Formats: sequence, structure tokens, C-alpha cells
Amino acid sequence: MSRILVVEDDPHILRVISLWLTRQGHQVCEARNGLAARELVQQQMPDILITDINMPGMDGLKLLEQLRNENRTPRGLVVLTNRWDHREIGESLANWGVHVVPKPFSPSKLAELIRQLDEQQCVKTSDGTGAGEVKTCEL
Amino acid sequence: MTAHPPQAQRRAHNLVKGLIGALTRDGPSAGARSLGLVGATLAPPHPPLHCLRACLHGDPRRLFTDGCDWLRRLAAGAPDAGGLRDGRCARGFRVAARPVGRNREPVFLVSAEGEGDGHPPADTGSQVLDRLESLSRIFEQVGQLLDENEGLADEVLRSYEQLNLIFDFTQQIASLTDAEEIEKVLLHRLGRLLSASTVVTVGAGGQTRCFDFIGDELRDAALEPDRVPVAALGAELDACRTLRAVSVHAAPAARIMVCPLVRLDNRVDVLLAARPLAAGEFTSGDMLMIESLLTFGGQIISNAEIHERLRRMSLEATRALVAAIDKKDHYTSGHSERVGVLARLTGQRMGVPADQLQILEMSGLLHDVGKIGVPEEILCKPGRLTRAEYDIIKSHPRMGYEILKPIGSFGAVLDGVLYHHEAPDGSGYPEGLRGDAIPLYARIIHVADVFDALTSTRSYRAAYSFEQACEILHQEAGTRLDAQVVNVFLQVLATFRHEHPREFDALFAAEREVVNASA
Repeated sequence: MSRILVVEDDPHILRVISLWLTRQGHQVCEARNGLAARELVQQQMPDILITDINMPGMDGLKLLEQLRNENRTPRGLVVLTNRWDHREIGESLANWGVHVVPKPFSPSKLAELIRQLDEQQCVKTSDGTGAGEVKTCEL
Repeated sequence: MTAHPPQAQRRAHNLVKGLIGALTRDGPSAGARSLGLVGATLAPPHPPLHCLRACLHGDPRRLFTDGCDWLRRLAAGAPDAGGLRDGRCARGFRVAARPVGRNREPVFLVSAEGEGDGHPPADTGSQVLDRLESLSRIFEQVGQLLDENEGLADEVLRSYEQLNLIFDFTQQIASLTDAEEIEKVLLHRLGRLLSASTVVTVGAGGQTRCFDFIGDELRDAALEPDRVPVAALGAELDACRTLRAVSVHAAPAARIMVCPLVRLDNRVDVLLAARPLAAGEFTSGDMLMIESLLTFGGQIISNAEIHERLRRMSLEATRALVAAIDKKDHYTSGHSERVGVLARLTGQRMGVPADQLQILEMSGLLHDVGKIGVPEEILCKPGRLTRAEYDIIKSHPRMGYEILKPIGSFGAVLDGVLYHHEAPDGSGYPEGLRGDAIPLYARIIHVADVFDALTSTRSYRAAYSFEQACEILHQEAGTRLDAQVVNVFLQVLATFRHEHPREFDALFAAEREVVNASA
């Protein structure tokens, strides 16, 4: 059970993701672009941030960069990419410790990834290590 | 993916909260009013009182503890449920309840009006009931819309899942050329898309193969007629072959989808996907999806099969051509074949990429194709050649090049043919290239060619022994032959002879026959 912030400009995809995660028992916040997401993060730090890349206003990469600069990076980071983005930036994002999920995403795999992130967080909070560690997860 | 009870409860709870919100926005005229859900199935963490508490002055538990027996019985799931309940008074509240939803156990929408100060509000019970009636209608309508919404979301999620699988499938097969591998991936995706536990293929000749899912992997398994009654489904299999349509059948232990996979030459394999009973029925959406997946997959497999067939055909045609040339000079029979194989083995050891090895082998096979233009009396002349005759022999690389040049797909093969008599010290022909200016394939073929020529009996001399030939290669390394290639070639030869003695013998048998014949 995590607090998850979902950032996605397409309202329908946003609804589907947030509905799916709510069904998994998570507490979900929604934002339609990077700016709104940044404000929400400032108000309350989510455990996991799931963001689209291409969005009007502030896109997903800029959002991640800003949060890094402000030292407000949520512990679990998931980026949704389309297949072309995925080829270009997938690897560099994975090196940042960001989990990359190509669209059309598989709901079951997304749920599995969130479950793993949840577990990792439990481990981290219990032994206090793991900060800055590079995580890769094959989807 | 359907909403399970706790989720349905949470939803109903949120709905009531929303209604309360709407009611309190009505202003003071609405009076002190509260709304909640009461029912035996409403379990923590959303107890029925929670909602009542939301806007009731004071502690709503008083409604239960302070004498509203009737409400207590409702909460316990009393059997007198059904129909609209009377408005009743309890310590200054007027309380009414109405059953809502389609749950097996009754859940009541409860409204409580009043200040809780011991004085019941002025409204009569029936007025309270009227209000409750319209509220519950809204409650039910919104509930229905939410149900619909959930159903649509289920459908969208399922589609996402399927789309993802199909995307993965297309991406995975893009890198595959082998028909069998593509088929394996196709079966895996088909099984996953259908939540099948077992997939069986029945070939055009009736041969069956059975695969079980172990976790996410598809493994070979023994066919269990109890689970997938292939024999009992015989008529359906025949129908599938002729109609080429997907159909669904019930077996005692599973639901089975029978689907056609049309392969090359209109051969139809029948695929059976068995889904455990617990996973529910196949839908028409499933059938449509599988039909398009298999139409697409069958095409891809057919293409891979055609590709393989053409590849083999072109190799066989080349071999036939080469054998015809070798026949011109019975001393060189099998020579081109051996040079091709030795060149490939050497290239492999030197790190030539796998997809290029076939080109190298082709080039080795065809290196002497130009000899077709050399008159037989020169080619097979015993004893010394005149200078003019030798010049004609030396023209064979260029002649081979000219013969093959018009064949577009042999483009990559040409270097090896044209330059296979070039030497690192510049003493070779036709262009006298030096060192690395000679293409790698040509350097490799040159070494293989010289070795095979040495170990063969020629019209003008007897064959050298294997060891003598190796020694000569050593001596020529760095001058007439590329030193690095010779080095690798000798290793390859030793390994090949050691690991595959029979193939080695077969490859050099022709030479021995000639030796024996001349002995």
C-alpha cells in the first residue's frame, strides 16, 4: 500500500491507471502535467511517482530533473514512454534508477512493478540503506 | 478484475459521503440531517456509523445505544428487511431506512434527521421517507453508473493487457527469422492472451505436440486426454481445418479454443488452447483477437518458411553450378565445396559475424566459377603450361567476377572471387594488391584454396600429405599467404580433424579416391 502520484496528460489513460492502482489498494493522486505534479509533491511527498514523458507545460523528464534539483525525489520513480521514446531514452533512464514502462502498458506488469517497489521500500525503511542505488526492472 | 466486496463498500461509502456533501450544501433549511449505510456486511474499516457521524451533531452511536432498537436490528441484518422503513423517532431523531444495492445481504441507506436534543423535528415520518426515497434513487442510479464505469474500466484494462502482449509479440518476432522459433513465441503469446494452461498443436498430418505453462514459460509436456481431449474433438478439428475459423468447446476439465494456423502451401495446423474452468468462459472478443493474431502470425511463419526455402534453393543451385564446373576437371572434383566449408570455419574462428558466414561460404564455393571459361585442354593439361596458357588460367578470377556480377544478390560474394589469388607481398593476380588491401574474405579463400589444391592430386603432380601441406602453408605465410589467416586456418583444421573425424574424412574422400585411382 503506497501513496502514488500519477502524472499523465491524457485524462482517460490517467483515469485507467489511477483506477487500476486504487483497486490494488493504493492511495492515488492525479496530476495532468509536470507543474501540477510538482506542486502536489511539495505539499506531500508520494512514495511512488508515475509519470508520462510527453505532456504540455512541463514534461515528465523536466519534472524529474526539477525534483532532483530540489532534492524532492520520491523513492519509487516510474516513467511511461511510448515505444519510440523507449528506444531512445529507456536506457539512460534505467541508469538513473528510474523504472521505464513502455506504453501500451500491461496493467498486470505495472501492478507487479509497484508491488516490487513497495517491497524494496519496506526493506529500505527497515535497514535504512539502498539510497541512490540503481534499480533496473525488466518489464 | 471485477470490484470485490471491500471495494464495492468503499465505493458505496464514498457515494454516501458525496450525498451528505450535497445535502449540507442546501443550507440551514435542510436541517440537521445525516445519512449513512447500515448492514451486517459492512465491515471495518468502513463501519456504517462512520458516515452517519460525518454530519450528525453529537455522537451517532446514540442512535443505536439510546433506544433505536429497530436500527440495531437492521445493522445486525434483521430478516424484516425489504421495502421502505417507517420513519421512527429515537431521542429526537427521525430515522428512516431503505434497502439499496443488489448485494446478497441487505444494506440500508439510513437517514437521521433532527438535532438529537430530545425534540423530534417537525417533519412527519412520511416526509422524511419521501426525502429518503429520492435520495436512494440517486444513490442507486449513481451506483449503476459506477458499476457500468467499472465494467468499462475492466474492458479497457483487459484491452491494454492484450495490446501489450500483441506489441511484445511483434517486437519479439521482428528479430527472429527461424519459423520454429516464431511459432514458439506465437504459441506462448496465444496461451498468455487466453489465460490458457496448456496449448496443443495438431499438424496437418495429425501429429500432436503439447505444451504446458510452467509459470510464464511454455514447456513440452505429455498430452493428457482428460484435459485436452484431442481425439474427442476430432470433428471440430476437421471443421477448423476446412472453415479456418476459431471455435470454442467445453471439455470436462477445461474450456478449449480451437483455432487454425494457416502455414505455407495452405497447410493448416490446428491449435488448441485449454483454459482452466476457474478462469471463466472465452468471450467473442477473445476469439476475434486470436483470429487476427493467428492470421498475422501464420503469415509471418509462412514468410520465414519461404525465406528459408529460397535460401536453401539458392545454395543448392549454387552447389549444382559449382559441381558442374568441378566436373570439367575431375581432379578438382569437390574442391570448391571443401574450400567453401574451410573458408566458413576459418571465418567463424576469426570472428566473422554469423550472418556473413554464408556469404563467405558462397564466395568460397564460387571462387573458381571463372574456370568455366578456361578450355579443358589447358585446365587438364598434364605437365608444364606455356606462358600464354598460364595467362589464360590467370584470367579465371576476373572471368568469375564478370559471370557473377550481374547477379545482384551475389554482390557481397564478388570480392572473394576476384581477389582469391592476390598475395600479401603483391606477387598475386589479377591486380597485384598488397597486405590489408586484399579483402579479408579473399585472403581466407586463398589459404583454403591453396591447402586443398596441395592435398589434391593434380594433372601435373601427386598430392602432398596433410602434414606436408601444412608445412608449405607455414612457409608461405606472410609472403604469398596472409600470416594471420594461415595461423587460424591451421588451428581450425586441427580442431576440425580432431572433433569431426568422420566429416573430415568425408570432405577429403574425393581427393583420396583420385589418389587411389592414380596409384
